[in-house]
Formats: sequence, structure tokens, C-alpha cells
Amino acid sequence: MKVPRSLQIWRLGIVNYSDALKLQEKLVSDRKIHKISDTLLSLQHPPTYTLGKRRTDHNLLISEAELKKLGAELHYTQRGGDITFHGPHQAILYPIISLRDIGLGARNYVEKLESTMIEIASLYGVKACPGQKGETGIWVGDRKIGAIGVRIQYGITSHGLAFNIDPDLNYFKHIVPCGIADKDVTSLRRETGNGIYEAVEKPAPHVTYSKEHQCHQALKRANGGRADAEMELAELLLHLLLYSLLLPF
Amino acid sequence: IKDLKYADSHEWVKVDGNSATIGITDHAQDHLGDVVYVELPEVGVTVKQDASFGAVESVKATSDVNSPVSGKVVEVNEELSSSPALVNSSPYEDGWIIKVEMDNAGELKKLMDADQYTKFCEEEDSKH
Repeated sequence: MKVPRSLQIWRLGIVNYSDALKLQEKLVSDRKIHKISDTLLSLQHPPTYTLGKRRTDHNLLISEAELKKLGAELHYTQRGGDITFHGPHQAILYPIISLRDIGLGARNYVEKLESTMIEIASLYGVKACPGQKGETGIWVGDRKIGAIGVRIQYGITSHGLAFNIDPDLNYFKHIVPCGIADKDVTSLRRETGNGIYEAVEKPAPHVTYSKEHQCHQALKRANGGRADAEMELAELLLHLLLYSLLLPF
Repeated sequence: IKDLKYADSHEWVKVDGNSATIGITDHAQDHLGDVVYVELPEVGVTVKQDASFGAVESVKATSDVNSPVSGKVVEVNEELSSSPALVNSSPYEDGWIIKVEMDNAGELKKLMDADQYTKFCEEEDSKH
């Protein structure tokens, strides 16, 4: 018998990295004791560099002092993956999901995160694909557009994915992103040329919503104008895609 | 593999007197993907049944490894620092992770035997 499952989506806007970490820790504990259902945090960070469990800080090309002068923070975390940058207009999803409840392993879960980003890119007419072996993430040619770093405790996920809608790509110059030298970083803005907005293609059939309606709603809500509306629409699409991948009907 | 006991978080334990060798199962390594890093505990630390004592990293995901028994860590597999992929290629032999001096052999009763574990895996995999 199929048990009904739900995904609660929290849209948080721009959140400090430490605050987001504390929130995730609390949600993982709550999820472990079944106090909450699967939850998805959807947010952005102020300029932040982060390292994974392996602490590969040789991939940070400037000192922490210089980093602070740029208006950024540095955090060491327990997630998998190498060094990366997060900033405004980069869509971040932190699913707090019980993999045990759905019988998913780490590899399959990460593949679903990759598929989500590949699908959203294709909705914008951008052809993206997973990396070579050992290069988890999403690429357009040899330019990286999406990154993944996950932590699994008690079979419950935290951290997740970061997808470049339109972040300031200059910040990536100060690191060897994900430890992979000689490859560029890109964004949906860069890959769609003129207008992210205009580039949204007809939605995939299983994503049941009306594009016009969502665009209209996004524009109405966005106080900051067009860039915010673009961001909001992209976030909505990401939620819907991840939802449809994690909870198949 | 017979003679081993299994936890529902997919770790195995091989008991020899009071000594327990611990690793992750073939099912676990397959679901993780290629292991690129193993975080090992220090020799001498205490571990508790069902609690995490270290982690493995694969496909940009760090996954906790839990101990199937309580006790004291007496040896860790240093080979894994330079060859983490042993966890994938030889999960029950060269890919062992820690050795523990058990303080309560009664805890073994809570673990599954080979047949129970096989069934458990089948049920888990059919969920998706």
C-alpha cells in the first residue's frame, strides 16, 4: 500500500550560511524522530565560500582576510564535495529527506539532484549534462553551471544543490571551483544570452502548471523588479522539478 | 556473507571472541558510488551501538558510518586513507574500517543474520 508522502517547501530568501546550517541541523533532528515530514529549503546566501569535510583549502586562492574585504564569509562544513561559492541569484535547494524511507542510496539521490538541474536548464533551452566520473555537478560544455554537496546522517540528507541563475561569476575567480582547474563557471544568464525570462520553454508535460500564470505571479510578487522575478520563476521551477523527481506518482 | 551480523544502516560486523571487525556491506558500497574519502576515528575512542563513528564520501555526499556494537576502537584501517576505494572493491575483506573491543556482546542479538539482511535489502530496494 502506498503511504501518502509530502514535501514541505520553505522559501527563505537570502539567509546567512550559519543560520541555514543551524536550521538544517534542527530539521534533520526533527526528521529523524518523525516530528516533521520531508522538507525542502529554498534560499540564497550572501557571498559565501564553503569547504567540505575534506577541507580542501588549497583550492582557495586568496587569504581569508582578502576574502572578507570582498564582503564574503568562509565556512568549513561536513558536506561532501570540494570548495565552492554561493551568492545572491544562485538558487540553493537543501532537501531534508529521509532516504531510508524511500529506499534511495546516496548515488541515486545525487543523480536526482543532477537531473533536476539538467531539466531546469533544458526548460530554458540550455543543454546541460552531468560531469565526467568523479566530477559530480552539472556542466554546459566544459563550463560548470550547477554544484552538489550533500551530507547524510541517519539516512537523512542536508545541504544539497546550488544552481547558477545569475550570480556574480567574478567571485569564482578566487577559488579552483570544486577542485577542478582549467574549467570555467557559467550561469543561466550567460548561457541564455539576452533574457532568462524570454528563454523559458514550454514546460515538460509532467510539470502541471501554466507558464503564463507563474510568470504573472512572479512579476506581481517581485518588489525588486525583473531580476527578482526571473529568480523567483526559476526557483518555482526548481521546486516543481525536484518534487516530481523525488515523489513519483 | 554468512557468519557476519548486519545493522539496518548497512554495516557488517565479524565477531572473534570479544573483538569485532566492522565495515560497510556490498549493498551499501553499491548504493554509495565510488568512495573517495574515509573519515576514521582515533584509536582509543568509544563507540556506541547505532551511533556514528566516522563517514565516507562518494559522489559529493558524505555518509555517516554507524557502529553495530558498543566498545572501544582498538584498530583502524589506515590503508583507507590512501586507498578509500577498497571499501568498494573489497567491502568485507581489505575494505574493513575499524576493529572494536566490545563491552556488551549481548548487543549482537539486535543485529540481523545474513538471510534477514538479504530480505531487508530486498524490501528497502522495492520501496523505490
